[in-house]
Amino acid sequence: MEYKECSQAGNGQIDQACEKVLSELECDFVGLALQNTDGPDVRWHYAAGNSNEKYKRITVRYGKGIAGKVISTGRPMYLENFPEDISGKALEYPIMLAESLNFAYAVPIHFKGIPKGVLLIGNRTGQPINEGEQSTVRSAARRLEEKLSSLI
Amino acid sequence: METQPAKNNISSYIIQSQEEEIKRIALELHEGVGQTLYSLYTGMQFIEAAVNLPDLKGYVGDMGQMLEKTIQEIRLLAVELHPPTLATLGLLPAMKSYLKLYTSTYGITVDLQNEGVEVQISERESITLFRVCQEALANIARYADTMSASILFHWEPSQLLISIKDQGEGFDVDTAMKKSTGLAAMIERMCLINGTCKINSKIGEGTSIEITLPLY
Repeated sequence: MEYKECSQAGNGQIDQACEKVLSELECDFVGLALQNTDGPDVRWHYAAGNSNEKYKRITVRYGKGIAGKVISTGRPMYLENFPEDISGKALEYPIMLAESLNFAYAVPIHFKGIPKGVLLIGNRTGQPINEGEQSTVRSAARRLEEKLSSLI
Repeated sequence: METQPAKNNISSYIIQSQEEEIKRIALELHEGVGQTLYSLYTGMQFIEAAVNLPDLKGYVGDMGQMLEKTIQEIRLLAVELHPPTLATLGLLPAMKSYLKLYTSTYGITVDLQNEGVEVQISERESITLFRVCQEALANIARYADTMSASILFHWEPSQLLISIKDQGEGFDVDTAMKKSTGLAAMIERMCLINGTCKINSKIGEGTSIEITLPLY
């Protein structure tokens, strides 16, 4: 891992970017997870629309949870009607439980071409995330990639 | 809750078989697959040191790193399946170790209190208590919608009392007992080691689970 932690000003910019996604998409939750610089674990660093502070303590292993899975596969992930229509156990999706989300869409954030982060949006109601919104998230992820590259 | 002797024996057999199988897989992963991978890893390091071609050296180095990550994954998986500290250090250290993992996974902080002096209990009893606590904590992560919980271990000469509390959403115990096999399994597991499990909950006020085990 070559990137370093963001500065205070950088943190503010990322927070603002998450808030912007939240207001653009009118979703309930936006979160950004990044792989740790000193190991494979993945931690939720930024959130907007969060109902509590649990995300700050959540760390998942590479390949585990939504964030770990998106980083390990490098592909987007869509969860609908959680916890009913999921593969595996509800306990394998900590951020969905922590934020009481029913729908979520997560896309990888690349750093030097390698997936190192995840941008996730989620809804607590029965509102699915349509293709148009998914496309907006992918665009937001590309903008965040540029922002992160310039900050770290 | 009373169970018939035959049903009791079958439940006991199924639970014990499952635990033994989990322990066997965990041990096999740790001592078998893990050790073999470690031998491969040291071999890979040896090759890396011997190779002069820069491209190949880098490639072998990457493979070594991947092996190192896999070894760590295997080790963590084995510990998750069956914590080795349960047999070596006892129930309390194993629970402390599990709570660290629990908080970092679900973001819920758990305040652990211990009153009295821990006494040695059989492996069957300690794994049962551990699994019941795990189930209670999993239910908190899944349903309680709370930031924190607490566990109290109270050791008396005649019994061990474990109290797990949260101030989350709570639920109707009668309705949940009909729907959830997890709650019934907690009671069943405790019955099988002559213990008790009492579940109290009120919607909007949280949940309290009291587990007792007689100490002889």
